[in-house]
Amino acid sequence: MKNIYYFSKKEFLESWRTSKLFIVMIFFLILGIMNPLIAILTPDIIEISFGGALPVNIPEPSSLDSWGQFYQSMTQMGLIVITLLFSGTMSGEVSKGTLVNLVTKGLKRSTVVISKSIYLILQWTLCMFLAFFVTWVYTLYYFTDDNSPHVFLAVLPLWIFGILLVTAILLTSTISRNSYEGLLLTGGFVVLLFIVNIFDKLKHYNPITLTSENINFLQGTSSLGNYMPAMLISISLSLLFLYLSIVILNKKKL
Amino acid sequence: MNGISFLMDHLPLLIPLIILQFTLMITALVHVIKHPNYRFGTKGMWIFIVVILQLIGPVFYFVFGKGDNE
Repeated sequence: MKNIYYFSKKEFLESWRTSKLFIVMIFFLILGIMNPLIAILTPDIIEISFGGALPVNIPEPSSLDSWGQFYQSMTQMGLIVITLLFSGTMSGEVSKGTLVNLVTKGLKRSTVVISKSIYLILQWTLCMFLAFFVTWVYTLYYFTDDNSPHVFLAVLPLWIFGILLVTAILLTSTISRNSYEGLLLTGGFVVLLFIVNIFDKLKHYNPITLTSENINFLQGTSSLGNYMPAMLISISLSLLFLYLSIVILNKKKL
Repeated sequence: MNGISFLMDHLPLLIPLIILQFTLMITALVHVIKHPNYRFGTKGMWIFIVVILQLIGPVFYFVFGKGDNE
């Protein structure tokens, strides 16, 4: 237990000293501020670019636009940046040989994997909620409508998908020799999820729907209960990935 | 749309946004200048990327450009 604590602490310190933590926090804060701003600006941008040529009336932006922007930027930018920055988390240590000393001094390899997963999950939680609260505060300030009642229910699936993604990053970076291989494998995993998404019958079981249905959860038009299987599958996949990472690292030559 | 009144209306959004963008840029810029060992590319190239490509530039530098030994 103590070792897990110390190794997680080492991860945070490393991330802080290499400025990764700082960069990623600033990045998510910026994402959070951009969402309401883009929602406010979109009608003006359309008006400027099309002038009077567009006959339809552009509706006033509402809180839904701001949240829609949030889910779009989190899945398109946020998750990608997390993947890019942490794709070498295990393979980097293996190739640099920094684990050899610790493991020969008696640190269990499973401790390494568990600490890294704790660190990655905490990191994702921190980043997501930074962006979430910034968007939330500005949305409450600028849009005084009640179109989006279920703010927390809508963000929960995204958080669970993020956890699945970071454990996938951990597994792929354990398998691969460098961060580019890890990136490729993580990308392949996400593409696979998108391919499964073509089959409509599997919709309620596919983790990727946790990132695409958020606006419906937000409005309350779609019940989160229907997507319980997808959430359960995501969590069990995460646990499976963790287990596989431990098994693979145990067999890997450091 | 009146430019000045628009600016005044959205100051609470714009000021923190500009401050954060600058912090990100300066952090990356200081790192580029202080650590001249890159995985690829030259100092000039990375300074250009960090300054011109807002938001994405600094992230790109820390992912692909930063040398391994610091």
